Amino acid sequence: MSASQSAVRSRAEAVQVSRTLDWMILFTLFTAVLGGYHIHYMLTGGDWDFWSDWKDRRLWVTVAPIVSITFPAAVQACLWWRYRLPIGATVAVLGLLLGEWINRYLNFWGWTYFPVNFVFPSQLLPGAIVLDVVLMLGGSMTLTAVVGGMAYGLLFYPGNWPVIAPLHVPVEYNGMMMTLADLQGYHYVRTGTPEYIRMVEKGTLRTFGKDVAPVSAFFSAFVSIIIYFLWHFFGRWFAKTDFISDDAS
Amino acid sequence: MAATTESVKADAAEAPLLNKRNLILGFLLYLVFYSFIRWYEGVYGWSAGLDSFAPEFETYWMNMLYIELVLEVVTASALWGWLWKTRDRKVMSITPREELRRHFTHWIWLVMYGWAIYWGASYFTEQDGTWHQTIVRDTDFTPSHIIEFYLSYPIYIITGVASFLYAKTRLPTYQQGLHLMYMVAVIGPFMILPNVGLNEWGHTFWFMEELFVAPLHYGFVFFGWAALAIMGVVNTEVIALTKLLKKDLA
Repeated sequence: MSASQSAVRSRAEAVQVSRTLDWMILFTLFTAVLGGYHIHYMLTGGDWDFWSDWKDRRLWVTVAPIVSITFPAAVQACLWWRYRLPIGATVAVLGLLLGEWINRYLNFWGWTYFPVNFVFPSQLLPGAIVLDVVLMLGGSMTLTAVVGGMAYGLLFYPGNWPVIAPLHVPVEYNGMMMTLADLQGYHYVRTGTPEYIRMVEKGTLRTFGKDVAPVSAFFSAFVSIIIYFLWHFFGRWFAKTDFISDDAS
Repeated sequence: MAATTESVKADAAEAPLLNKRNLILGFLLYLVFYSFIRWYEGVYGWSAGLDSFAPEFETYWMNMLYIELVLEVVTASALWGWLWKTRDRKVMSITPREELRRHFTHWIWLVMYGWAIYWGASYFTEQDGTWHQTIVRDTDFTPSHIIEFYLSYPIYIITGVASFLYAKTRLPTYQQGLHLMYMVAVIGPFMILPNVGLNEWGHTFWFMEELFVAPLHYGFVFFGWAALAIMGVVNTEVIALTKLLKKDLA
């Protein structure tokens, strides 16, 4: 067999080989990105994502989009610029959410017995879809960073509103005013997470009342744009195919 | 006609391009093993894992740690040693079809690496979060650490290095030198294990509480980014496979 000959014996076999490899590549890419993204997200924004009583109007809204736009930007940089696949952000976020949901059910609930409506993960899909759609329609990294990145930050709170709103209604308990989410935290004691390390509603911005969440989302959107740019270039670097010399001398 | 018959016989005797049995068995091996581990945690985490000074902690958890450390060293030495010892010294002269077959075997290794990364970096790492935020730790070797740091991380390291060694010793694609992103994809997640040293040292100062986003944990974050280098490996593989498939049909 000459060096110019194909490794397959028919076009049908070539198609079959190609499809089989597609699935193996997709599985590996999905699980590896899931693992890296999950460890990144849980250790940079995890506390706000683990517990409903951390999901406040200020820091959760600010932190979650900023730290979660990272891997979507990087995966987009590979899948779009190499393969014209406008699904990078959605694939990354789906991976993260799958890992989180499995964990919240099997471990937060299954091992340490917290109810799932206390430990559900934040919803990131609306922002990811918009990020992919902007990239697909615009074909521009700059446009995706500015318009998509801003949308990613701004959409986070509205995207989570349907699930968090019932837990943000006020309740009075032992003469104290708190939210239903606060009350969940009060009842489900986490010995390793005492109240004094819970970072919610910090600062005087909360006196703005209704403006806290939109202001936080707007700030988050601003930083998300910058983080998108940075992580796009990280993604390009990680997608390189370079070899370095293995000559030790 | 005779030549055609011979060719058909040769095809029938030839090993398949993708060994589906190995792929499925490998996938199930991790799944069944980790399901057993999760069952063990569920039973002995609460009953024997809360007080590291208790005799039952030594029985059910420290002995588990000692056994897994020995098995990991033995497995890594045997697997990596076998891959190196049986390397192909004439790797550049294999036929395109044999090269494609080896790429498929390589992809079985990569699928296992992705699968092992999922269990280590996602499943058992976030599980560690809920354990620490619920239970006050009194040792570096908590039940969740004995599984996360000293079992699931070494397993993905063993798998990743094996995958890299397979590529380096059997595939012409990787004979040009050292593939930078492949090394990042293997060494980066590997570095999460030594970073445990920083983590445990830090926690000797802050034993009583767990803030998961504490800067002490950022070493894990930094090295976790290296998982993205799998994109560089995928791109290299796609280029190599495209060349193999687009040549003139035999």
